[in-house]
Amino acid sequence: MTMKAINDFVAQFNASIPFDVSRIVRNRNRYYLLSKNLKQQVPKGFFYAGAYLGAVKGASLFPSFLLLSMIAERKANKLVIGKKTAWLFICGRDIFKQGILKGNNLKKGDYTLILNEHNECLGFGKIVLNIREEADAKKVAVKNILDIGDFLRREKRQSRRQQRSRSLQGSDRKPHKPTHK
Amino acid sequence: MSSKQFFVNRYKKLGWTYKEAELKQAIRINTMNAGRDTVVSRLESLGIVLEKIPFLEDGYWIRKSKFSVGATAEYLLGLYSIQEAAAQIPVTLFTELEDKTVLDACASPGGKTVQLANLMKNSSVIVALELKQRKMFALANQLERSRVTNTAVYNMDAKEASKLNMKFDCVLLDVPCSGNPITDKDWFNKRTIEDVHKNSRRQRQILTEAVKVTKDGGEIVYATCSLEPEENELNIDWAIGALNVKVEEINCHGEKGLTNVFGKELDRSIEKCRRIWPDQTQGFFICKVRKQA
Repeated sequence: MTMKAINDFVAQFNASIPFDVSRIVRNRNRYYLLSKNLKQQVPKGFFYAGAYLGAVKGASLFPSFLLLSMIAERKANKLVIGKKTAWLFICGRDIFKQGILKGNNLKKGDYTLILNEHNECLGFGKIVLNIREEADAKKVAVKNILDIGDFLRREKRQSRRQQRSRSLQGSDRKPHKPTHK
Repeated sequence: MSSKQFFVNRYKKLGWTYKEAELKQAIRINTMNAGRDTVVSRLESLGIVLEKIPFLEDGYWIRKSKFSVGATAEYLLGLYSIQEAAAQIPVTLFTELEDKTVLDACASPGGKTVQLANLMKNSSVIVALELKQRKMFALANQLERSRVTNTAVYNMDAKEASKLNMKFDCVLLDVPCSGNPITDKDWFNKRTIEDVHKNSRRQRQILTEAVKVTKDGGEIVYATCSLEPEENELNIDWAIGALNVKVEEINCHGEKGLTNVFGKELDRSIEKCRRIWPDQTQGFFICKVRKQA
């Protein structure tokens, strides 16, 4: 089940990664790829280890950005977008046709990785129109599914959760350690 | 006497006149993910004005930025971390990190864990411990964002590190401490000398456990962002007598460690430690000890 969910996810981008299955470890619903050293040396019971691949919920994989970067290193569906579009994408927006610099050969329904001008993976989305045939440059071409701005959104969610939990416990004392370690 | 007056008098006796200072925001380039010059030029093209921190290889102060440096694509891609200048020093003091097994005993929020991974080129093994459950996700996010793949994180008290049944070549002890008034404007209203003593006892327990899990000849870097000698020089003086360690010479920013604290003479080797009074950076204390065979 594990490998199927991961392999199916990778295959959506017309890609494949030859994982060493013996080094993939599950912790609750989260999956990690351990290096040989980690696999040999560290005991079980960790919270996080190695390269986090993603979390499986039902039959679906919620991928990590490390997994997306691993796919991006291979032959796969990729779209390169311009600077301004990249910023809007990170803010959670969809991509207009006019923001696409490379990758017009992908067709409606395809899943694609989204790269910036430096070929760094910013997330992924689903193509919602035939890019090459569409005349209107201001139409949404790619629906944003996941972008790296999620790191900030997660922090906000977690901090809200903690505040709620602290107020339920009747304490809002700040931790002793400074934030900028 | 107010709490502020009490602590300010203590600092004066130790040779420092208290003055308020604005903490300068700093970043550290994650060179395992991108070249230093590339990141600097990308940030400058965004209008961010950087100043090289003279005593750090990969550190820069943010002189000017119209937006938060914690919200750029480059940050979210793990090309740099936000990390206060003095806090960037301890990790650089290990003699050699590549191919070593490393323990980061009090890891959250993970800035130094990422820095360790960076200097280890993401190879070999880091074990990172964090006691507080609520800090675990932030630590995991930091590792994922910075593309760290050589680390295993445990929700575990550093005082119980021997339960891992592992021995380490290098141990980073960035121990929980009382902090300092530069990073927390409300510090004087919150802190008492009893807090300092309580933290000191806890730090000694962590030090004891760290020595247990360090290989013979292995290195321990001990750091706090506290200005209080009970959490710094006095703890190291105690460790020299009670644990099987010797203080090592370090070459970094800061003044020599104090060898006379409120009239008490300490082991002379403590002057090899570094004490950083707040000025360009926050207050910090750093010491490297080696476990004797």
